[in-house]
Amino acid sequence: MMREAYRTQLDDLREEVRGMSELVIERLNTGLDALSRHDDRLARTVLHGDEAVNQRYLSVEELCIELFALQQPVASDLRLVAASFKIATDLERVGDLAANLGEYTLATEGEAFPEVDVTALGRFALSMLENAMEAYAANDPYLCREVAARDDQLDTQCERATEVVVRELIETDHRDDVGTETLLADVSRLFLTVRDLERVGDHAVNVAARTLYMTEGDDELLY
Amino acid sequence: MSDNDMNEREKTAMTEEQIETEDVSDANRGRVISDSTDEADDVLIETGPTAGLDDDKPSRGTGQTIVESRNIDVWYGDDQALRDVSIAIPENEVTAMIGPSGCGKSTFLRCINRMNDLVDICRVEGELTLGGKDVYDENIDPVALRRRVGMVFQKPNPFPKSSRDNVSYGLNVQGIEGDHDEIVERSLKQAALWEEVKDRLDESGLGLSGGQQQRLCIARAIAVDPEVILMDEPASALDPIATSKIEDLIADLAEEYTVVIVTHNMQQAARISHKTAVFLTGGELVEFGSTQKVFENPDSERVEDYITGKFG
Repeated sequence: MMREAYRTQLDDLREEVRGMSELVIERLNTGLDALSRHDDRLARTVLHGDEAVNQRYLSVEELCIELFALQQPVASDLRLVAASFKIATDLERVGDLAANLGEYTLATEGEAFPEVDVTALGRFALSMLENAMEAYAANDPYLCREVAARDDQLDTQCERATEVVVRELIETDHRDDVGTETLLADVSRLFLTVRDLERVGDHAVNVAARTLYMTEGDDELLY
Repeated sequence: MSDNDMNEREKTAMTEEQIETEDVSDANRGRVISDSTDEADDVLIETGPTAGLDDDKPSRGTGQTIVESRNIDVWYGDDQALRDVSIAIPENEVTAMIGPSGCGKSTFLRCINRMNDLVDICRVEGELTLGGKDVYDENIDPVALRRRVGMVFQKPNPFPKSSRDNVSYGLNVQGIEGDHDEIVERSLKQAALWEEVKDRLDESGLGLSGGQQQRLCIARAIAVDPEVILMDEPASALDPIATSKIEDLIADLAEEYTVVIVTHNMQQAARISHKTAVFLTGGELVEFGSTQKVFENPDSERVEDYITGKFG
């Protein structure tokens, strides 16, 4: 085996991305727990813990740029570095979305629309991201395609959740229960939560698409 | 054989090719070209610029194949240097040949203009065509062939003559008519050297820098208006700035000529070529495809291992 230092750097990059993803997945889990349990302590943890993700992101970016500049990777090495560079961006965004969940938790007093199971939506999106990262770690093209195929299900569930809220707003007179301002804030927050979880799914698909490109040079999920 | 020996041989070959137009040392020379013309009986050795080849050059920029080999095998004595190489080189593009030392890439380059004829122990089997015509056909005059297929070597090898005479040398020995000063100027401009030498055209080419000398050799090669330019590691002896100039020049040349370049520098191949051929140990052409495909997602695992440095 030649270029041993280079191969070690490539392994380090892969480990760094995996480490970053573990951190992000943990934060997303915490955010979902905070949301489902209305736990302000967990919410604050996830809201203020984004700096660690940003640091990991910068570290991945630095490694990638160093590899491009000094080693000029080609073929599968090039695809690993290019895919990792992009995947790190997606993971960083998921970190931001996890922080949003903390913010929504802190701003919510009670459970406005208990029939909308945002935690289930979140778990679904989270499992997509987990599987996308498993595919990255194991060079598994089958799992990449499987993750991408699940995005439609998530989108449908998110649409249904929105519909449920809108329908209830139309059919029920809430004006007596809470003030209009409170209702407006609750509904907006719920829509934002659903949208953010749907975006987690989109980022998971991006990770899967880059991973498929990385493993097989196949860009079918990218475009 | 060391590089130096090789260069000496190359220089000798180049000189022979250009000076000894009446030389009959090549095995296939000295044959009656055709008995369909009245002059045939008088012309035992045809050394005209297009001897044995069609006068009409194929039109350029068509994306068609200009050089094609089918099942080429080459031996140096008992050692097989190329194994069953089949490749179609497109016109007006840059084709790079990469691979580890001894993989046969330079040997293949030398098959195209029959430089291997000059190596006694070399034996070539199979078919190799230029513009559809078999270059190993007995009617083909290697000297005429080499006018259509120019060559630039690793080490700049200008003649100990003025820059002007270096470029016009081929025109004179080939008896090419026309305004030689104009051709010299055009060739030097095409070789991106004109601005640097226009005020000292009559000074020795040996007084130029290495990078300038190499561009002078390129100007010399294109002065006789070849169709294909073969380059064997043309920038490996040059610094990065001179290398960049040669690389820019190669891109420009491809608009008018077909360039086939052998390089050990994989990044150079990636930068400048449209197609890349990867030869691996044993004289085998393992992969040939678009340069982007080869460097982004090669089909062959052996190629992957070679270009990523896992072996080589």
